Amino acid sequence: MKPTMSRTRIIFALVFITGAIGVASLLIGTETLSPEQAWAEWQSGRPIRECPTLSILFYQRLPRTLTAWLAGSALALVGCAFQALLRNPLATPYTLGIASAGALGAWVATVFIQGTVLWVTVWTFSPIQASAFVFASLNALFIYLLAARNPRMAPSVLLLTGVTLGMLCNAGILFLRYLAAPDRLVVMDRWLMGGVDVVGFDIVRTLLIGLTPCAILLLAQSAKLDQLGFGTELAASRGVHVGRLQAVVFFVGSLMTALVASTVGPIGFVGLIVPHSVRAITGSRHRILMPVSLFCGGAFLCFCDIIARRLLTGETPIGIITSLFGGPFFLYLLTRKRFTDWET
Amino acid sequence: MNQRLVAHRVSFAYDPQTPVFQNIDATIESGRIAAIVGPNGAGKSTLLRVLSGLLRPVTGTVMLNDKPLHGLHAIDRARLIAFLPQIINPAFALKVSEVVSMGRYPHMGAFATLSPHDRNVVERCLHDTETYELRSRDFMTLSGGERQRVLVASILAQEPELLLLDEPTSALDLHHAHEVFVLLRRLAGDGYGIAVVTHDLNLAARFCDHLLLMSQTHQGLLADGPPECVLTEELLSRAYAASINVCAHPITGSPLVTAEADTLERSR
Repeated sequence: MKPTMSRTRIIFALVFITGAIGVASLLIGTETLSPEQAWAEWQSGRPIRECPTLSILFYQRLPRTLTAWLAGSALALVGCAFQALLRNPLATPYTLGIASAGALGAWVATVFIQGTVLWVTVWTFSPIQASAFVFASLNALFIYLLAARNPRMAPSVLLLTGVTLGMLCNAGILFLRYLAAPDRLVVMDRWLMGGVDVVGFDIVRTLLIGLTPCAILLLAQSAKLDQLGFGTELAASRGVHVGRLQAVVFFVGSLMTALVASTVGPIGFVGLIVPHSVRAITGSRHRILMPVSLFCGGAFLCFCDIIARRLLTGETPIGIITSLFGGPFFLYLLTRKRFTDWET
Repeated sequence: MNQRLVAHRVSFAYDPQTPVFQNIDATIESGRIAAIVGPNGAGKSTLLRVLSGLLRPVTGTVMLNDKPLHGLHAIDRARLIAFLPQIINPAFALKVSEVVSMGRYPHMGAFATLSPHDRNVVERCLHDTETYELRSRDFMTLSGGERQRVLVASILAQEPELLLLDEPTSALDLHHAHEVFVLLRRLAGDGYGIAVVTHDLNLAARFCDHLLLMSQTHQGLLADGPPECVLTEELLSRAYAASINVCAHPITGSPLVTAEADTLERSR
């Protein structure tokens, strides 16, 4: 009756790892900061803006760390939820084409809106982010309207619709690339590689306000997602409103993905490898799998961001790091027995 | 408490032009096993889903203890009626104990962990189905017979009063199929009311109190009653549109059903 690893030990390990990576992420960077220096500046009582170490720490490292943590945890959580929703181990937050739609939105903004009167910042959203968010949301809505014509919103219908829309968006992106001026190509390619190099707390606030209620809502579905894993009929017979559950998970997950993809770009791999790696430790009960994935996703992206800052003299786009470091690790995990158990 | 699930003149159709069955009366009650039998496509599984409340009948009523089944909240219904589909294809690797614990869902809140009471129930269900030794095994690695017993344990963990099972023996060899019916008979003895869809008429004849014989051409019930009254050559031949022979089992004395006995003999 015991889980694969005792719950208290998992929680203890998570808090420790998250804390350690968080501290490392604050101190390590293009310039390594010394805690003593920061403490001395803090003691001096001068305003933060006038202290070199503290201002880097507070206005750059802290928002950046928080952004990476929020984005990573959201992507990992949505990955778990979508794998259960679609009953497919390959599902990621991006499987349903949401990131592709967001990228198309970003391109549309760059090619058509930049330089016009519409090029304004709405709240904390830059025009590129706003357009990406709108396109990603429209994509989700379209998939839902199409799938809802099917009485039970069959996973395969969702999957095929999402993948097709993703391909359409990618074709649209290629077309826009063909039209775009060369200087914008560079800017957009950099956006597509993803980055959490934010300054100040605007993005953090947006993510925190947007993601927190969504994450709680998804976590509250964990027992129902377990039931869904054994088929819609058994779940329904046990009192799960299957249609409602599918709609909630789909919309909330899509919203979170749209928010993350539009603010930090389409950072890949986190939503696939984190849930699967965690599954190997905790087993597949979502009540424990989802919160642990949330923590590990955050820690993983923070870790990747540290590497992104240190790998080359400049900044390496974080999307490259997640794939470059996450990929081989995941391949190693796949060779182990536990992963051959998943049947679709 | 004695539970009665009564279908009164129920009809069902996935599309209005082609009814699956019409005007069926059926009763599932505590302590008894009813078998729903008939040829492929007769609507047996559909009838079971109507009885379980998963499908709403187009006409007619399903009453649970004289109250409409569809007026019941889904969670309350799950605490009284458990349904086991024919095909269970888990999306995740889970241990046997986890599979059985999942049956506690109708008794838990959204975040709730298993209470000591829940754990006791799960343990009892594992013992009742003789799957306690399998509890830390991976569900996917079990044999067909073991899987079926674990699934029965998982629906027992719902602490229901009525069990509706869709072809629980369809993938099992004759020994394990027999074991499942022995288990069902024992559960009926403990007071559960059971309805089971099955193609195995001989097991149904030996273990069930009541048979409901459905036929597609009839769009409903062709016969219902105790096995001796339903399993006759005349009724079965009509239901299956084939030559069916029935004789008394030489050892048990219950009806023994064979299809096309004479034709097969000649084709040798």
